[in-house]
Amino acid sequence: MFLIIVGAGKVGYFLAKRLSRDKHTISVVERDKSICEAIAKELEILVIHGDGCEPRTLEEAGIKRADVVAAVTGEDEDNLIICQLAKEKFNVRRTVGRVNNPDNERIFSELGADIPVDATKIIAKIIEEEVSFSDFVNLMSFKRGKLAIVRVDLPDSSPIIEKQVQDIQLPPDSVLVSIVRGEEVIVPKGNTILKAGDDIIALTLIGNETPLLNLLVGNL
Amino acid sequence: MYVIIVGCGRVGSELAQLLSQEGHNVVVIDKNQHSFDRLGGAFNGLTLLGNGFDLALLQQAGADKADAFCAVTNGDNTNLISAQAAKKIFKIPKVFARVYDPQRAHIYSALGLDIISGTMLFASMFRDKIIESRFSSYLIETKDLGVLEIEVKDNLVGKLVQEINIPQELIVVAIRRLDGVIIPDPQTILRDKDILMAAVKVISLEKIKARFGL
Repeated sequence: MFLIIVGAGKVGYFLAKRLSRDKHTISVVERDKSICEAIAKELEILVIHGDGCEPRTLEEAGIKRADVVAAVTGEDEDNLIICQLAKEKFNVRRTVGRVNNPDNERIFSELGADIPVDATKIIAKIIEEEVSFSDFVNLMSFKRGKLAIVRVDLPDSSPIIEKQVQDIQLPPDSVLVSIVRGEEVIVPKGNTILKAGDDIIALTLIGNETPLLNLLVGNL
Repeated sequence: MYVIIVGCGRVGSELAQLLSQEGHNVVVIDKNQHSFDRLGGAFNGLTLLGNGFDLALLQQAGADKADAFCAVTNGDNTNLISAQAAKKIFKIPKVFARVYDPQRAHIYSALGLDIISGTMLFASMFRDKIIESRFSSYLIETKDLGVLEIEVKDNLVGKLVQEINIPQELIVVAIRRLDGVIIPDPQTILRDKDILMAAVKVISLEKIKARFGL
């Protein structure tokens, strides 16, 4: 794939480094000349010194044949404009925009970045999970952090112990994926009975995490 | 009218004062508190400190009941994003953005935003004042349409306006004479020292220069 990365701060630099290792073709656009020189020395990729918000700079970077454009500068308005230019002017199939200020996430989705990535919110969420509850672990997030696979250890006090799966009223958009009981992995069916100490793996919308947790563990 | 202005620089503050003096309700947004000093003591509208595309702030500014919105900060991208928020999210009926970069101005006008950009206009005016002796052109930002000023002397004196017009390419819309402005008809005869104002297709400029020996 051919990717253009606009903005070579920490995020842009590591992204370029990782992706170029995966044999993708990368070009990087950066406004700061000394950063451009450092990257050109270290990585074998095309580095364009210029303002990525200007269409001609994007053209120099080869945007007409790009599959993906990732706008990861520190300025939200710049990232959004870059995504819009890529989409509307150059018909790039996929645009990823970094959201620096979580307040701007809505405007990103409304005004057309395909995939807004809100790093601040993601990190805050991870830290929040680490400090809040220990028996509830977020294993993985998908879809820009809207969907998650979580693991919950059923404590003795759980309200669903000794109940059949079919009798449990799960919150909307949540499913039980599997139950780990000792060495055994059980695919839950309607008549599966839950036991204390079971590890429940569930898929849920982020918004329904709390009701799911209340259901599985009881009110915290 | 209820008008929101983002950016309280020279243009923004001037516009805010004009509208406020005419009795309109004006809200001005700027990131820098000191910018509001430009509004002077007579300004009786509201000022809000913050980012012009912060949706919560726009809500607070009354964006859902505003009649018009102007984004005139010195950042093209801020103006473009603010204007899109005003238009697409708050559905404000009249939305304008100032954009310095001609390329972005062109692209976003094509996408349906009302863009006001002086860059091309000023650059071409300066160029013509320096280089051309008998005409100057005011290129409109779309790069299709321009307005020409042609000074009449020697070879053009005594010609009819219809001899100057070129169908599909150039039309004389006004003549400035010592005694005033006239809107010509095809039979109007050109006099020495007339200044012709003509609407022109930009791609025809060179051809027109050659044709009239300008």
